[in-house]
Order: sequence, then C-alpha cells, then structure tokens
Amino acid sequence: MLQIKALRKSFDGFQAVKEANLSVNTGEVVAVIGPNGAGKTTLFNLVSGQIRPDGGSVQFKGEDICGLSPHQLCRKGMSRSFQIVKIFSRMSVFENVQTAVISRMKKTSHLFTPARSIAVKETLSILEAMGLSDKRDRISGLLSHGDQKVLEMAISLGSDPQLLILDEPTAGMSGEETAMAIDLMKRLSRDMGLTILFCEHDVEMVFSFSDRIMVMQQGSTIAQGTPEQIRNDPQVRKAYLGGHD
Amino acid sequence: MELFSGLSFSVLCIQILVGLSKATILFIVASGLTLILGVLRIPNLAHGSLYMIGAFTTYSIATAFSQSSLGFWVALLLAPLIVALIGLIMEQGLFRFLYKRDHLMMLLFTFSFTLVFGDLVKLLWGSDYRSLAVPEIFQGSYTLLGMPFPRYNLFLLLLGPVFAAGLWFLTNRTLLGKISRAAAVDREMVGAVGINVNLVYAAVFVLGCYLAGIGGALVAPTQNISQGMDHSIIIEIFLIVIIGGLGNVWGALLGAVIFGLTDAIGILIAPQFGIVFPYLAVISVLIFRPKGLLKSIW
Amino acid sequence: MIFGVFDKKSLPLVALFLVGLIFLPYAVPRFYIYLTSVILVTGLLATSLNLVLGYGGMYQFHHAVFYGIGAYTTALMLTKTSLPVWFAFASAPVVAAFFGLVIGLICARLSSLHFGMLQISLGSLIWAIVYRWYDFTGGDDGIHGIPVSEAISTTTSAYYFILVITALCLLLMFVIIRSPFGRILQALRDNPERCEAIGVNITRHRIIAMVIAALFAGAAGSLFVTLEGSVFPELLSWTLSLEILIMCLLGGWFTFFGPMLGACLIISLRTFAGNYTEYWTLILGLMMMLTIFFLPKGVFGFINELFRSGSPSQPLEEGSNAAD
Repeated sequence: MLQIKALRKSFDGFQAVKEANLSVNTGEVVAVIGPNGAGKTTLFNLVSGQIRPDGGSVQFKGEDICGLSPHQLCRKGMSRSFQIVKIFSRMSVFENVQTAVISRMKKTSHLFTPARSIAVKETLSILEAMGLSDKRDRISGLLSHGDQKVLEMAISLGSDPQLLILDEPTAGMSGEETAMAIDLMKRLSRDMGLTILFCEHDVEMVFSFSDRIMVMQQGSTIAQGTPEQIRNDPQVRKAYLGGHD
Repeated sequence: MELFSGLSFSVLCIQILVGLSKATILFIVASGLTLILGVLRIPNLAHGSLYMIGAFTTYSIATAFSQSSLGFWVALLLAPLIVALIGLIMEQGLFRFLYKRDHLMMLLFTFSFTLVFGDLVKLLWGSDYRSLAVPEIFQGSYTLLGMPFPRYNLFLLLLGPVFAAGLWFLTNRTLLGKISRAAAVDREMVGAVGINVNLVYAAVFVLGCYLAGIGGALVAPTQNISQGMDHSIIIEIFLIVIIGGLGNVWGALLGAVIFGLTDAIGILIAPQFGIVFPYLAVISVLIFRPKGLLKSIW
Repeated sequence: MIFGVFDKKSLPLVALFLVGLIFLPYAVPRFYIYLTSVILVTGLLATSLNLVLGYGGMYQFHHAVFYGIGAYTTALMLTKTSLPVWFAFASAPVVAAFFGLVIGLICARLSSLHFGMLQISLGSLIWAIVYRWYDFTGGDDGIHGIPVSEAISTTTSAYYFILVITALCLLLMFVIIRSPFGRILQALRDNPERCEAIGVNITRHRIIAMVIAALFAGAAGSLFVTLEGSVFPELLSWTLSLEILIMCLLGGWFTFFGPMLGACLIISLRTFAGNYTEYWTLILGLMMMLTIFFLPKGVFGFINELFRSGSPSQPLEEGSNAAD
C-alpha cells in the first residue's frame, strides 16, 4: 500500500531524514522505532505531505504522491494523527469527529444547511468504537490528555482512511490509558481492517502488536522485518537494544 | 535636460534627495518598531503615538528655550528621553504581564494606547497644529544642480547613515544586542542560561520608544505638528517593517528607502496620485516576497 | 455554547428583542431611531468582520475597505447612473464581494500576521485611490446629498429598511455559521493543520470566507448610504477597521451577537460621553485596556464563561439534540 524509497530531507543543513526505506502492505500494522531525533516525525510529515522531501519517492497505492498537499492525501485515503495533540479545541468531541466526516463527504462548501444533522449516525458509531460516547458533548479542549489522544484517532477515522498514520499515539499517556489505546488500535486493525503505520517510544508495546517493524537511526533505516527478525538483528541489537537487552 | 513631460534631471535628483531625507526619519522610527516586533513580538501600534508625543514635546521644549539658539538641540536631547520614559512605564506597568497573549490581543491593546495617547496629546496641547522653526544653523538652502535644497534635509540625509551605523554597532557589537538577538530567536533558551529576559525586553522596548521619540523630534521642524500624525506614520512604518522583514533592522532601512523614494518620485509622475505609489511598491514587494525582502525572524 | 449565549432556549429572547426594535419608532424620539440605525449598520459590519475574525481566526485587519466599497458603489450608482435604485443597493454587496475575492486570492495563502499586513497594504492602496480620485469618487470630500429613494428617505422609513436588511443579513450569517462551511471555518480557526489533515483545502475556504464577509460588509456599506446620504474616504480608513475590531473584542468574538453588542457599546459611548467630553476616545481606550487585561473573551464571552461554569452538567452543544 505504501512504498517509501530513499527518502531524504534536510533543514538548514541538518539531515533529518537521510535514507528512509519502508514498505507497508495492506492490512498490516507497521511500527517505526528509533531513538529521539531519529527522524520519525519528520518521516511521517514527509509521507503525509506536511513537508516536501528533498529526494526519494513515496508511493501510495501505486501512485507517486510526493509533493501532494495534506488535504489531497487525505482524499486519497491516508489519514494521520499528530504527536502533539491537534484537535479543534473549542468544539465538542462530537463536532470534532463530525467535522472530519463532513469533510470526507465533500460538504464543506454547503452554506445553507445546518451542520449538526449531517452524518450523525456515522459520527456516533465512530465515537462508540473509540469509547468516547459518554464524552461526546464535552468541549474537547477541556478533556484529559489521554482522551484528547484518543479523539485524535477518532478524527482520523472520520476521514474513513485506508491507511492510518499515528505519530506516537500513546505519548504522554498513563499506563492504564496506554493499555486502552493499544487495545483500540488492535481493534481498528482487526475489526475495521485498517492498515496502520505508527511510531512509538515504548519498545515493548511495539513488539507486542506490530506485524512488522522498521528501525530508524539518525535519519536512516537500519533494519526492517518482523518483530522476531528485528529482535535478532545484530545491527539493531548493537544500535538500539544493545544497552539494555 | 528633460526626461519626460517637463520632468528635468535636476528636479528628479532633488526629489530623490528629498525622498531619502524623508526616508531617514521613517527609518529611525521604523527601526524602533522592528526591534520591538523582533524581540518582544509586540506589534506596537502606539509607536506612532510615541512619535507624535516626541514631536509635541520637542515643540514645547524648543519654544521654552526659544531665547537661546540651542532650543531645538536641547529638545532633541530631552524629548526622546521623555518618550523613552513613557515607554518604560508602559512596558513595566502593563506589557510585561501580557507577553503570552496572542498577536491580535497585543495589537488591540497597543491600539487602545493610541486612543489614550491621542486624547492626552489633545488635552495637553490642544487641537491646533503647531509649527517649529528649523534650527538656526540649518536655515536656508544649498543650491544643488541649480535647484534649492534645504539645509535641514541635508542634515537629515547625513544623520541616516549615522543611525544605521549606530544600530548596527548596538545589535552586533554589544552584549545587549547579542542577547536580544538570541532572545528573539529563542526566549526560553536565553532565560535558561541565566539571563534576565525581562530586563532585556524592557531595555529593547525603551530603546524602540526612544527611537520613535528621536523620529518625532527630527520631524518637528519639517512639518506641521498635529493630531493625526500618529495615524499617518504608523501605517507607513508598519508597511516598511513588513516589506523589510519583521524584526530586521536592515530591512527597516531598505523599506524606508523604498517608501521614501516611491513617495517622492510618485509625486513627480502623477501629482494627484502621489500617495498611491508607496502602497503599490509595498504590494508588489509582498506579492513576490510575502515575508519581506530580508530575512524575517518571525 | 460555542455559538454564543443564544441557543434554542434564548431564541425567544432574540424574538422579543426584534419585536422591541420593530415598535421602537413608536416609543422614542427621532434621534434615538437614528442612533439605533447607526448601531444596526455598524453592528452588521462588525458581525461580518467577526465571521472571518472570530469564527475563522483570520487576521482581517482591514475589513472597513469592503464597507467603504459597498457604500461608494451605491453612492456612485445613484449619482452617476440612472439605473434603478434597487440595482444600486444590490450591486454594493456584489462589488464588495468581488474585491473580497481579489484581496482573498492575494492574501489567503499567507498566515496570521503576514496575512493581516498584506491586507492592510492592499486596503490602504484602495483608500489612497479613493482619497485622491477627485473626478470619480470626490476625493477627500466624498460625495454628499446622494439621492436615495423617496420611500426610505425619512428617519423612520430608513430605520425600517435598515432593520429588515440587517435582520436578514444576520439570519443568513447565522445560518452560514451553523452550516458545514461554518463548521469548517471554526475548525480552521481552532487548528489549521488538523483541518488540512482531514482533507480541507484551507486556502480555498479562507477565500470563500473572505468573499462572504466582504459581501455582508458591502451590504452594510449600502445601508450607510441610506442612513447618511453621503460617503467619504474615512469609510475605508484603517482607523475604522480597528474600531470594528474593538467592537468584536468588547462584545466577544467567540459569540454571534458579541460584535453587535460591541457596536452598541461603542456608539452609545461616543454619542453620550461625547455630549459631556470631547475626550471620549480616552474613555474608550481605557475601557479596552481593562477589557483586554481582565476579560480577554469580551463581555459576552465572559457571561458565557460564567454561565458555563455555573452549570457544568448541562449539555454544551446542540450536537446532543441531534443525537437524541
């Protein structure tokens, strides 16, 4: 579904991403791991169109998508969440998700119909699936951090994506919240058949539920494979797991 | 030598010089604004009011010392200091509590100062306009290319580079300059290495206000000192700062020169629409370089 | 709550207010009818600004330009052409919207302060042209004694005309704010990046928002001509733009009726304080400083907050109604 080849990006002479390679097949859960500053977020920003790469290629469903803007990519079936929570903080939880659904239905230029009656069922079912039903009328900016992260995912789902890109979906969550979030992601992949690409700090969590893992270090891909292969990869052991494994 | 339709070469030259001398004042005022914008991130609309206060104070001091030929020079020394003092009170009394607010709030907050200052000036000086004679040694004109050129304008022309050099020295060669440039880029970092950021902010704000005061003092002998001069200058210097690149002192210089020249030459080309030209120049710059000609630190 | 204090429960309040306005001319002297007309026109202008400012989060720093363009369009149509009167009024919003489109196309790709600044430059250019083009716009004198139709030339009839148009425009804006487009606009304000990530073309929506806001500002401009029978360059001045920004701020820019309240406050202050002192802007300035210092969300916003914290268990949004 997604092929990344030799992707490069530098900022003011600093090579944030040097040589990133990744392939994600339909239905897989793929994780990107690597130490802080390895270029994970930059890689995700490159893929989802927030920034333009200097070189290399990104193919989505067999089509070159380099240089497309985020809203065009969203229309093609790619949706993402952000590491730093980005939600519509003055709106209710319900409206947050509903807005994404409205956008997907291409009704954003409708001027004279009330928004509140559009896509109610669909929005409610997403909220239900994400366990946010009881909070649907809360102002999203006032939610706990953990709930906001879940809401991020819910908004992404509102775009009805085929590929879901999650940037550190459990960052800043408590242990309990993390467990719940992982459970959610498992269900998304299993029940809805979503392809998920995510990056994460928590190595244990990554190994526990990804189908494949890509390891990044200093902007480059150093290994790619199943959790088993990664665990036994000497280079990864040396570079990343070496210290405490 | 006729260029076109009665426009002779010498008229054009003189007009360019007049434009440049006007640019000097614009530059001095705009550099103050851009410093405050760059370091404190305050779009200070009250800057124009401070300039107006500078001009009125200069008038009052100069008339108080009118027996002496030094009246204007005393005023040039004192008036900007008074304006700087007002700036200090503004910054320490109010602005420093509001640094976390968004730009729009700050913009409106500084706008409320323009309303208050406008009325205070009316209260103190009345609504009549004032005029101040050019200081004695700069009265009269030189003859350049057969055209008269006021001596005071020549003085302004020479002052421009002096101020540019002074500001360059201040921002590049002094500790305050280095710290404030660092603070402009990363406020937290400067605070983290143990520098009193608030002090730096106050110093920069006061310096910016001082420059507004100087501008007001220098402009006093060249035009009517009146209510409303705050509004006309603030929009000009804001545009200058924008086309130069927010927070960039050299940008302010470049912007002021562009503004002054297009203004002076525009009047020659189409007298009726003279004031349109600087705006046209600003828009053409912004369409191609929306963040200004030089590096903006925003 | 996001849409202001006037949810379904406060709809009767709005209706009551409207009825009060309809019977106003029977109750008060002519001067107050005139004053209410001024408030309505300016309030309409401020509300149109708030559409992009409060709901869209765009730094619309020079909104008065569209107001002035609307006013001048009507004035020029009435004085220089023999086209029917209704045409002169109908063309004002259209021409203003066209300028909104042009300025929007130039500005919309920029963000925040740069957007505002480029808009100020473009607006100043238009102001400068109007200010100096004596043959066409009357230059700094403006155009006076504009022959407005007989039917709306008395204070009372002009008042009713203004009331009807203003009410219609406000209703339309209210509907737009609650439409999918209005929702996207607010999403843009809250988080442009997220908005783009859910598939919204930010630039296009910003331009549409500017066109709509300019349209209503143009309508307000034509109402100004009805009221005063004259136009002058101050209608496009930056000072007026800032004044209506203050109205939005004072009333509260996250509320629908906030700008109207702000217009009411400022115009009343100007009229009544102006009777006692010529230094009323001093009072206004101090009021603004206090508001910004202590009530950053404006008067309505403040009431809103009070209301919200007073009854946290109450459903905050009409989303819940739809869900039932």
